[in-house]
Amino acid sequence: MLIIKLWNCLRGYVIIKIVGRYGERLINQAAFHGLYLWDIRRLEENTLLAKVSVRGFFKLRSLARKTRCRIYILQKRGLYFSLNRLRKRKVLLLGIIFFVAAIYMLSSIVWSVEVNTQNETLKNSVLKDLERWGLKPGIFKHNLDKKYFLDKILLNYKNVSWAEIEIRGSRVIVEVVEREMPPEVEEGTPCHIVAAKDGIIEEVLPLRGEAVVKPGDTVSKGDVLISGSVSLAGGDGEEKKLLVRAKGIVKARVWYRESVEVPLVESVKTYTGRVKKAYKIRLGNRELYFQLGEVNFSSYEEEDLKVRYIIPPAFGSVSFNPVLYREVKEEKRFLGVEGASQEANRRLAEKLKILPGGVQIVQKKVEFTLNPEKQVVVGTLTLEVIEDIGIEKEIE
Amino acid sequence: MKRSQKEGLKSKFIEALDLPKDVVLDLPRVTVTGKIGVLIENHRGIIEYGPEKVSINTSIGLLVIRGEGLFIKYVLADEIFVEGKVRAVEFEE
Repeated sequence: MLIIKLWNCLRGYVIIKIVGRYGERLINQAAFHGLYLWDIRRLEENTLLAKVSVRGFFKLRSLARKTRCRIYILQKRGLYFSLNRLRKRKVLLLGIIFFVAAIYMLSSIVWSVEVNTQNETLKNSVLKDLERWGLKPGIFKHNLDKKYFLDKILLNYKNVSWAEIEIRGSRVIVEVVEREMPPEVEEGTPCHIVAAKDGIIEEVLPLRGEAVVKPGDTVSKGDVLISGSVSLAGGDGEEKKLLVRAKGIVKARVWYRESVEVPLVESVKTYTGRVKKAYKIRLGNRELYFQLGEVNFSSYEEEDLKVRYIIPPAFGSVSFNPVLYREVKEEKRFLGVEGASQEANRRLAEKLKILPGGVQIVQKKVEFTLNPEKQVVVGTLTLEVIEDIGIEKEIE
Repeated sequence: MKRSQKEGLKSKFIEALDLPKDVVLDLPRVTVTGKIGVLIENHRGIIEYGPEKVSINTSIGLLVIRGEGLFIKYVLADEIFVEGKVRAVEFEE
């Protein structure tokens, strides 16, 4: 009954007064004709009060004529009448629409940008840079590209380890976490030169400090190469230690080893050019797929195309994403031992490029072995290089 | 006499088959909710309506509801709901 009541409130109903001796008969007739009357009360001897829907009222009028009753409308109620009344007040309606539109417009504008961080100078400079890059009060928040600004912050500020942009209402809050930079050893602080890698010392050239190792020594990572503590032989035979900032070049023979595996049978993926589109609708975290026709490709790759939001993302994530299926043909190519070795060689050569600059390659040895179990050719590259392995380390 | 015999037979028949009587015999179904409301299903129309007395026609005679401040909550083709302070629900032959 609640649903009917609600429905009537929406459609509109009228409170009527039935005047006549045979009011009951009218009610019977109405019920018989399928009209819904409710809240019937007797007011006086010949008067009944009742409620009836708008549509029911017009039918009731013809019934009233038959039963010789008179119907008067006392009150019109419900949304239907309210809207009807509103329709006459065009300016008010216009005002409401304008108001809603204005609220929507104003709330989709970024009004303030805040940067949250401890460091006051960093805060101000990030704020200034964000304004320069385009994140400032007055822009629309719906087409704010968070990733773009985050990338910009992280790229331009080396001392920022983490950043996040949050849109809260009409405010944009940028959280920035400063990175604790490793304390740079200041000029003048005493320090050693220690080995960064294992190797065999080839050449020691101390510029300041005392060389501890000599060519031919084997050092492992962390060993002191040039000591910052210099012993001074005093005149009276006493030994004095002087702490200095060691400086120098320590060249050592270092070995690198890299290996790659190349299968004898290589599969090559090629696109056949046939594509199929499907769509998915996202409601919050749920996804709903639907597609026209079937994807009858034996193998395919899936690619998500640009997401289209049905309603602005600020009001909930309902989006419409097209998905593109590309047909892929996989071809098996037999390389053979010879071909696989060549491939391995090529890949190893590529790895050589990522070696740090300023090294001198002394020896390069490439070995190929066939692993029959896995059907792969294993290419192993052993490199012997001479490079500066010294790094500074503060003396405790 | 003949009619009542026929009725009696029908009623026996229904009893043997265990059918719901109100449906088959076209009887009214009256649901009284405490003292505050009476629901009459399968009625034949309102005869008299007043705040102290509501008379409703049914297939087996007049159903009279007595009370105070009675009013008809709603009327449908086969359903009437009367609300108010109910004193008595009685059938008049």
